[in-house]
Amino acid sequence: MFKNALLLLFVAASLVMTSCEKEDPVIPNEEEVITTLNYTLTAVGDAGIVTFSFQDLDGDGAGAPTITGGDLVANTTYTGVLELLNETESPAEDITEEIEEEDDEHQFFFQSDIDGLSVAYNDEDEDGNPVGLSTTLTTADAGSGSLTIILRHEPLKSAANVSDGDITNADGETDIEVTFAVEVK
Amino acid sequence: MILRLLGAFFVIVVCSNRVPAQDCNISIEGYVIDEGTGLPLSHANVVIQELSFGASTDDRGVFLFEKLCEGEYHLILSHIGCAPQKMHLDLIQDTVLYAVFRHTPVSLDDVVVMGKKNNLSTQSNLSVNRQVIEDNANQNISKLLENETGVHLIKNGSGIAKPVVHGMYGNRLIILNNGIAQSGQQWGNDHSPEIDPFAADKITVLKGANALAYSGGNLGSLILVEPKKIEREPHLHGQVGYSYETNGRGNSLNARIGKYSPILAWKLSGTLKKSGDKRSPDYYLNNTGIEEANLSLQLEKSWNDKIFVDFYASTFNTTLGVLRGSHIGNVNDLEQALVNDEPLFTEPDFSYSIDEPRQEVSHNLIKLKTKYFFDDNQYLDFVVASQINDRKEFDVRKLGRSVIPSLSLKQYTTNIELKYAKEFGDQWRFTVGSQNILTDNTNVPETNILPLIPDYISYKSGLYTTLSKQWSSFSISGGLRYDFEGQDVATISRGVVKEIIRYDNRFHNFGSVFGLKYSMTNTQTLAFNSGYAMRNPGINELYSNGLHQGVSGIEEGDPDLQTEKAIKNTLEYTWIPSSRFSVNSLIYHQYFQNYIYLKPQNEIRTTIRGAFPVFKYEQTNANIYGLDLSTQFMLTNSIFSTLKYSYLRGDDLGNDLPLVFMPPNSLSGSLVFRANRSIKVSSEINLDEFEFEINNRYVFAQNNLLLGQDFVAPPPAYNLIGMKLSSNIILSNYKFRCFAKVDNLLNVRYRDYLNRQRYFADELGVNLTFGMNVKF
Repeated sequence: MFKNALLLLFVAASLVMTSCEKEDPVIPNEEEVITTLNYTLTAVGDAGIVTFSFQDLDGDGAGAPTITGGDLVANTTYTGVLELLNETESPAEDITEEIEEEDDEHQFFFQSDIDGLSVAYNDEDEDGNPVGLSTTLTTADAGSGSLTIILRHEPLKSAANVSDGDITNADGETDIEVTFAVEVK
Repeated sequence: MILRLLGAFFVIVVCSNRVPAQDCNISIEGYVIDEGTGLPLSHANVVIQELSFGASTDDRGVFLFEKLCEGEYHLILSHIGCAPQKMHLDLIQDTVLYAVFRHTPVSLDDVVVMGKKNNLSTQSNLSVNRQVIEDNANQNISKLLENETGVHLIKNGSGIAKPVVHGMYGNRLIILNNGIAQSGQQWGNDHSPEIDPFAADKITVLKGANALAYSGGNLGSLILVEPKKIEREPHLHGQVGYSYETNGRGNSLNARIGKYSPILAWKLSGTLKKSGDKRSPDYYLNNTGIEEANLSLQLEKSWNDKIFVDFYASTFNTTLGVLRGSHIGNVNDLEQALVNDEPLFTEPDFSYSIDEPRQEVSHNLIKLKTKYFFDDNQYLDFVVASQINDRKEFDVRKLGRSVIPSLSLKQYTTNIELKYAKEFGDQWRFTVGSQNILTDNTNVPETNILPLIPDYISYKSGLYTTLSKQWSSFSISGGLRYDFEGQDVATISRGVVKEIIRYDNRFHNFGSVFGLKYSMTNTQTLAFNSGYAMRNPGINELYSNGLHQGVSGIEEGDPDLQTEKAIKNTLEYTWIPSSRFSVNSLIYHQYFQNYIYLKPQNEIRTTIRGAFPVFKYEQTNANIYGLDLSTQFMLTNSIFSTLKYSYLRGDDLGNDLPLVFMPPNSLSGSLVFRANRSIKVSSEINLDEFEFEINNRYVFAQNNLLLGQDFVAPPPAYNLIGMKLSSNIILSNYKFRCFAKVDNLLNVRYRDYLNRQRYFADELGVNLTFGMNVKF
């Protein structure tokens, strides 16, 4: 009995010993990742086009993102269009469409510490609440500072002042939060 | 033969040999002895269930039944401060019965049988018995241990909890379910042990330093979850229990049925649970419901008193909701949550529905154990077991992807264990054993998310030997252990280009223990234990990589971590001057070299989702030490009181800082009234084992932490009051047990330092539980 048990043990042990190579894992196709945010501002008039962009191809990884701010012209109105991309895929996947499909569950917020710089919503979801993929940005006097763009998932769009672009009561979960250096000349 | 009785039944030895008696003139004479003091135990109650007829022991510990008819009876022995014990007796002649009552007033529960005799073990232990398990059948396994000294809980909201013993948890604390090391994703602080406590008869915490005979990675403490051997009870017996709790509107149904026969003994146990949103004093904790369905089967068979085979199979399946408001975006969201009065996404209505984020976990165990007795003094154990752990975690995702798990892990584990034990000479005991564990962990490629921990195969092989010897007032034990662990890991690199990076690790770990126990006088015992252990870094500590949304941080492993080494010393002093008063104190100290922990880095990483703090697994030298103190005293014959205190402190010696995430100190007490005899309510109704308890638990603030070691200062101290009422109701021939209890009676608003959701929400408010249990 004792001998048999020992033998069985060794057979079993040697079996597991020899089958010890873990097969290669499947590298997942990360279709939800957002790597890139482009905020394209087209001046009403002839002040030209400015694009703010945030690109972070390695996501949570240690590589730092590439952040490109820009210069705006004082006392000018721009139409702003947001674009979200997943550039880990080739060709890049347009995540903007996902936001459009679920626009009642998403809202962008724009915050700036530059006097007179304001962003107004130009679009709305099926309930008549703003989304923020399309906006109007207005500058006043010259100054420098930053512009922060925040995307909230499942915000309380009906809460006080949220539809005016005030994030204070919006709650929800932050999906995107990027900050650009901006100079108004 | 004594060896064979061990673990089999309890401590009752039945001798029967006197003059053959005529029908209905048979006597049962019994002697009851208190094991703690060795003295006769008076006022112990003995009831013959079939006759609803009882007796009490006199001052000499003697009871007597006369003029009984031949037949099969069930005897129930009980004493204040002890769990009642039931035994089956086939009465054919005059019988003398000796019962040793484990009347250890330190704990209400009977003490685990560790060796041939209980006091052979030099190691400190405490346990939760069947009655406690039944009266808390709606709780998870961790919660049952919460009131024991030296034990704390790490929680993730209200439904997910894992035990911490002397500051050790997760990879450092082994839970043995049925003798098999529970396998699964233990590394996760938000992962509960996947065990149904109702299937167990006893849950034991070993707090010493010498749990050497159990598989590697454990640094002294151990939790044993054990079913009893099936009682030699030839009739079909079973029980059904139901309980309802008001907080979360939770329902819990348990059933158990079993029968002994020489051909095959069997026991079947099942549990169903469902509860909805729990409530803090001020608001609902939305999405904190639980659903659970478990089943276990135990089979036993023996041949010629030589070969004993037992088979155990269990399945545990649960769906656990995680508070929606604890799933947040970035560090700014966390800061917002810290100042908010109530969690985000709080809704005014109760609901049973469990949405994302949620966990779906199933755990299946199958075990076959063969015990072969060469003779009365030596045996061989051969165990083969297999486990499958399937864990899926669902997050809130876009475009209907919430139905796809964000984490999906499948783990297969196979154990092959062999143990030989021999008693020889004058109370010498020797064991030698081997354990081989193969673990295969795979990320099921359905998530479309980079996995937090990689795929791997690990192979552990351990060899140990122990030797112990007992003299009349002195016992000594020692042992050695060696473990090999091989890890074959396939990680996926981060960065823009993803590739597979393989690691092949080999670790050699050694352990040793030494223990002494000295009974200084009849009433005082001193035990010393010392253990050295090595634990190689776990897969998560080496290779985990990714965003942990519950704490809003990025966690990174370090592939260069070294093996952790620890020396633990414990000193236990027990004083039981009488059966009315007892004290137990345990001092422990554990020194770690290369203690692995998650350290916040001086780095805030910018991602498109905003800023996240970075945590990395690092190593330091550390000291963890503390004191467990418990005392019990009887004020009158029917009122007794307990007091328990746990102190623990952890210091990071390398950085001259306190250790993070160490349990705060606590003080708890209870006052219990237990009726000595049954209370007659009417001619039809009797109350048996009537008990009323008031308890109080005070948890100190964790002051051993510096500002900046956490996002926010540890929560303040809190005090909770509870009450419990329980009784067996005997209604002519039917007997059932009823209980009612209140937790957090004053609806106190509080948060606990070891609850990972302390940043977001308060703990549970008042909770009323009613339960009923019928045995047949």
